[in-house]
Amino acid sequence: MITRRITFDQWDARYKALKADGLHEPWYGGPLRRHVTCGGDLRLPHLLYDDSAASLRLWNFLLTENERLHKARADGCKIIGTMKDLGTVPVAAYSLDNVRAFYPDGAWWTPCLMECGDGLLAQAEALGIDASFCPVRAMLAAFINGEHFPRPDLLVCSTGAVCDDFSSIAQRLEHLGFPIEWWEMPRRREPDGGETPCPLPGGWIAPQSQVDCARSELERIGKKLGDVAGQTLDDQKLSEGIRQANHVRRLMEKLRCQAYSQGTLPALEMHIVEMLAIHFCSDREETVAVLEDLLAESELRLKQGVHAVSLDAVRVFWVNPVADIRSMNLLEEWGGRICGSDYMFSHALDLIPENLPPWEALAQMALADPMVGPSWQRADRIIVDCQQSGAEAVIMSRIPGASHCSSEGAVICNRVKEKLKIPVIELEIPPVCDAMMPALSSRIQALLETARARRKR
Amino acid sequence: MICAGLDAGSRATKVVLFDCDNKRILAQDLADQGVDQERLASDLLDRACSAAKINRSDLKGIIATGYGRNRIGFANSTITEITCHAKGVHHLCPQAQTIIEIGGQDSKVILLDNEGKVRDFSMNDRCAAGSGRFLEVVASRLEVDLPTLGKLSNASRNPSLISSMCVVFAETEIIGLLSEGVGAADIAAGVQNAIAQRVMALAGRNVQGPVCFTGGVALQSGMVRALETALKTKVIVASIPQYTGALGAALMAGQKASTGLVQ
Repeated sequence: MITRRITFDQWDARYKALKADGLHEPWYGGPLRRHVTCGGDLRLPHLLYDDSAASLRLWNFLLTENERLHKARADGCKIIGTMKDLGTVPVAAYSLDNVRAFYPDGAWWTPCLMECGDGLLAQAEALGIDASFCPVRAMLAAFINGEHFPRPDLLVCSTGAVCDDFSSIAQRLEHLGFPIEWWEMPRRREPDGGETPCPLPGGWIAPQSQVDCARSELERIGKKLGDVAGQTLDDQKLSEGIRQANHVRRLMEKLRCQAYSQGTLPALEMHIVEMLAIHFCSDREETVAVLEDLLAESELRLKQGVHAVSLDAVRVFWVNPVADIRSMNLLEEWGGRICGSDYMFSHALDLIPENLPPWEALAQMALADPMVGPSWQRADRIIVDCQQSGAEAVIMSRIPGASHCSSEGAVICNRVKEKLKIPVIELEIPPVCDAMMPALSSRIQALLETARARRKR
Repeated sequence: MICAGLDAGSRATKVVLFDCDNKRILAQDLADQGVDQERLASDLLDRACSAAKINRSDLKGIIATGYGRNRIGFANSTITEITCHAKGVHHLCPQAQTIIEIGGQDSKVILLDNEGKVRDFSMNDRCAAGSGRFLEVVASRLEVDLPTLGKLSNASRNPSLISSMCVVFAETEIIGLLSEGVGAADIAAGVQNAIAQRVMALAGRNVQGPVCFTGGVALQSGMVRALETALKTKVIVASIPQYTGALGAALMAGQKASTGLVQ
């Protein structure tokens, strides 16, 4: 049996029914509609949703991050804005008491921003960062208008092996009066002869000297975090923080495994789930609760033989996060399903070594970031993941303006095609993809038709 | 059994009526694309039926393809133009291993297996520089129609180099060339070469002969030569290049109807 997808409007009745059945919600619970009427999240009415209470909790958790951060500030917590590293500094930040970390650069991706009433992208353009840059530029305007997140007590950003356009945006932000604590991320390379190799989580190898460099930088950032929080971030605290982060990652892995192999949850909700890995949506403990709910729903569906997508759908491995999450709906509407993903932060899904000194472990994880090494290495991991997930096709989505997208696409697509002999397409998905629908439809449907035709051979 | 294929493209809608029993095309026709795509397609289908001296009720299946396929509500089913072009070209040119389709809005490279099924494909999706739209912009700038633009290119002795990746900037380059006194023939040939280069980039290392060229741009005199030069291989033009998508759709409709999949 396939679970039904419901529209935004249908969520009203569904919510009432769930409440009548005794739905118990956390403080951020409530009907989905309020995010449109109060928050201006105008993209939400265009999406199709999983109808479970666990999915509603996920959406409410995602869409209340701003409130959560303001509440934390009011409760005396320190707010750390972390940028670019996608999953590293937050692990350290959450090791301290009364500290919340979030990604201002992640704000662009939340559904509200795509069609939000205050036009962050247009405001960013007025600040000198136009549409030729990644939509991350929206954070500039969010910092200025102060309506999307509170001004952080500390702003941390990795530099070095990061996107060119992102560096420009972050530099502009600093120039606008938001001081940034920069830390250097070396570009991962294979060790030269004579250099001590260091195996990294995820399977790559880097010279130990690069790990030492990242460790030293992270220790420096750890000291800053401690200063802001009025605490010392010692090894014991960081080790506990790593254990807690790994708990989230283990839950995430279990959920990904069930959802992607058995189709227990839809692509859209799973895309959001994965995003929780990088900063826990500003609340690590609540992230655990949200994931446990989803896992319980997934396990129940498994037991009942219920699926969110047909198991006969074409198994697609998706590379890069999408600028418009509506495209996740479209894939399933047209007969595909996600069997695996690389949303640019696979290092934030891998377990952090717990048998190493904690800063060393965190530095190794940072260097395992798929985006800080050559594209062919990322391609090789994608190939392995595709093989393990039985992918029949690969979609590599481009984020308009993101500098990495222009260089990595051909490298990854060609390598995957060559090794796996399965159809691969690159798609440019703009922040609002409505006008591109016929073109997207043709490309995705053609990919699915091709993959299906190959089954018959 | 007679089936219809409708290809609702970005510049024109095409129809093919196919007699599946006698394996022959009964009628083919096209009309400029417009706002009311379904009505245009319906009128076109009626016109084709009238030309073939059949009633619309004689059709055992209708499949729509092309960008506007989802607007054709009276079609029994929709299939993408990738699959339909592959089917249509394989029918006309069974030996083809690679299809280059350049339409009004985009270009595609489709690789086929020996049975004519799609093995892989790539499409341009960033700009119009590899599409028929580029030719339209240039024709307008040179104040000629499209067929004349093609003929002009044949007279070129020294094709211009058009380096911009974007039609808008390429148009600026063309204005510059005109102001320097470069002849229209050299500009026309330069534009064709630029389109061929885009297609070559799209195809990468994947081109395997025989190569079949289809889509409306295949009617442009000079484009085949430009593609052959860029790809360094012989290029065959499909016999009815504008209609291969619609033909493929009609063939697919026939297949579906024969297996009872079309209601």
